[in-house]
Amino acid sequence: METVPPQTAQVALDDVTKEYDLGGTVRALDGVDLTLEPDSYTAVMGPSGSGKSTLLNLVGALDTPTSGGVFVAGEEVSALSERDRARLRGTEVGFIFQTFNLMPRLTAVENTALPLVFAGWSPDRRRDRAADLLSRVGLGDRLDHQPNQLSGGQRQRVAIARALAADPSLVLADEPTGNVDTDTGADIMRLLDDLQADGNTVLLVTHERRIATHADRIVHLRDGQIERIEEP
Amino acid sequence: MADGSMPLREVRRLAWRAITAHRLRSVLTVLGVVVGIGSVIAFATFGASVQAEVVSQFQGTGASEIYVTPGGEDGGPPGEDFTRPAFTTHDVGELRDIEGVQAVVPRGIVPTSSVAFGGQTLARSRMTATTEAAFSETVLVSGRAFRAGADEIVVNEAAATLFERNLTVGSTVTVAFGDRTQNVTVVGIVSGTRGSVTPTFAGGTPRFYLPADPFYRTVVESPTLGVDQRAYPQVTVVATAGETESVKRAVEASLQADSDAAQLLPPDTEIGVRSRSDIVEGVQSVIDRITRFVTGVAVLSLIVGAFGIANIMLVSVTQRTREIGVMKAVGATNREVMALFLAESVTLSGAGALAGIPVGLGVGYAATRYAEVGFTIAVGWIGIAVGIGLVIGVVAGLYPAWRAARVDPIDALRYE
Repeated sequence: METVPPQTAQVALDDVTKEYDLGGTVRALDGVDLTLEPDSYTAVMGPSGSGKSTLLNLVGALDTPTSGGVFVAGEEVSALSERDRARLRGTEVGFIFQTFNLMPRLTAVENTALPLVFAGWSPDRRRDRAADLLSRVGLGDRLDHQPNQLSGGQRQRVAIARALAADPSLVLADEPTGNVDTDTGADIMRLLDDLQADGNTVLLVTHERRIATHADRIVHLRDGQIERIEEP
Repeated sequence: MADGSMPLREVRRLAWRAITAHRLRSVLTVLGVVVGIGSVIAFATFGASVQAEVVSQFQGTGASEIYVTPGGEDGGPPGEDFTRPAFTTHDVGELRDIEGVQAVVPRGIVPTSSVAFGGQTLARSRMTATTEAAFSETVLVSGRAFRAGADEIVVNEAAATLFERNLTVGSTVTVAFGDRTQNVTVVGIVSGTRGSVTPTFAGGTPRFYLPADPFYRTVVESPTLGVDQRAYPQVTVVATAGETESVKRAVEASLQADSDAAQLLPPDTEIGVRSRSDIVEGVQSVIDRITRFVTGVAVLSLIVGAFGIANIMLVSVTQRTREIGVMKAVGATNREVMALFLAESVTLSGAGALAGIPVGLGVGYAATRYAEVGFTIAVGWIGIAVGIGLVIGVVAGLYPAWRAARVDPIDALRYE
């Protein structure tokens, strides 16, 4: 498992432990070693409480480990300031959430371009980039619609476009098909498959085996530890 | 890692989006600030207007008049010696001899009980005793000044219309002094007098003027001459135009040296010698203090507006926790989140300040119309009000913005 040193891997977790203080100490991750190589497609499966979300938050630099090292794009997340972690999320990581998490009052283009606002892009460049991405996910005719004017599947495609806006090397998807119907879910999964084909590293968290089989590897988590890694 | 950061223009744009998303709520919050800023400006404007009006009334005439009273230091309140009859006829004569003095007008009080005309009797507790020097050509509306020693009376316009039948020159009125009555002839009607501290807008008060000789009976023994003389509590010296300051100094010197007043008054009593401009300054500072106090009270309503902003911003942070989480997930730093919310609260308070200016000026203008004084804009206070408005936006927004910056994106994104 330790075949790729942290510096060259897209993501590397080195003996990562994460504990939460919820009245008593809860160990959400317990000594996890995991490496995501560039251009890989990995799914994480496990029952609820197994540590899937914690793993995703750490890889996405939203959180820092209690012990061990998390390396994303060559940076050790714990060593970064709050500001630099925000920048890392903005430029290297694209998030896709189960509940879409779009800004309700912004249009599809504005939602897609949001990471570029914080990255300091000019309005014209942002709009061009966002319109281009929305066309790629099949929403070229919905640019100025607000989320409440879009279907669930369309919202998730806006979210995918947003995840790609800053051209991140790593895309994290947390149950991306959890809130859409089966047919739409299939469309969403085709888009994620395309992402890997375009050279992105994809990490997918799901509890559905049918979804997980899109990945090259399936990491099974249980009680905060890696139970086994499956390569279907 | 690319090190971009959000330009101020984007901060403003996003803040504006958030504000316009809740129009009614934002407008009501802004109204709180408008009321605060508006009242500050309204009170300050009204204060400045009243001040300008009063000062112009005082300055209107008598720039060359010097008021002499017992007691009362520079600008300070007059003490109990204020009404003490200390200036004798001898002192009045000495003052008239000073170079540059046009006239010296002594004033005293004649106690009366009533005044009757045309079968109508009105209670009247006092009349003013003075000399004919009090009536210059400019104040005489009709008739002439009374003559010393004659049974004559001069009244102002308000007094002339006091009775059912108007008093005219030649009317005879009956004045009761205690249990003694005397008929006197109205010889003049005036708009005011020379040597009265009262500004022209107080002209609505009826006044009756009697010649000191023979009606003024307050006498003291002149220490200088050793004989009884009429003594007055107040004397006005009218200086030749342009010589007010030098005459004022000469009057002070004359009274302090060996006047009867200096010897009659208790040793620690100063004799107040004030020119019209001294009095204007005093009045100005009093109105200024009142304006500052009232405007200060209005500033309290601004604080209420500040709480309104803080309240709505806290609600906004709570409602938008999830959005804050999203912004952080896509690369917003804590500082940028904080800047967004601060910009929002400063925009609310700034809008309130801007809208409060015309509102305050409008209310202030209405108040000056109602009080029938001229309209003067207090420019300084407008600047202060806008400054306070913006500071309030920062102060009221600081805690909510700090709360927003501290939102944990992991919790926020799970937030349903």
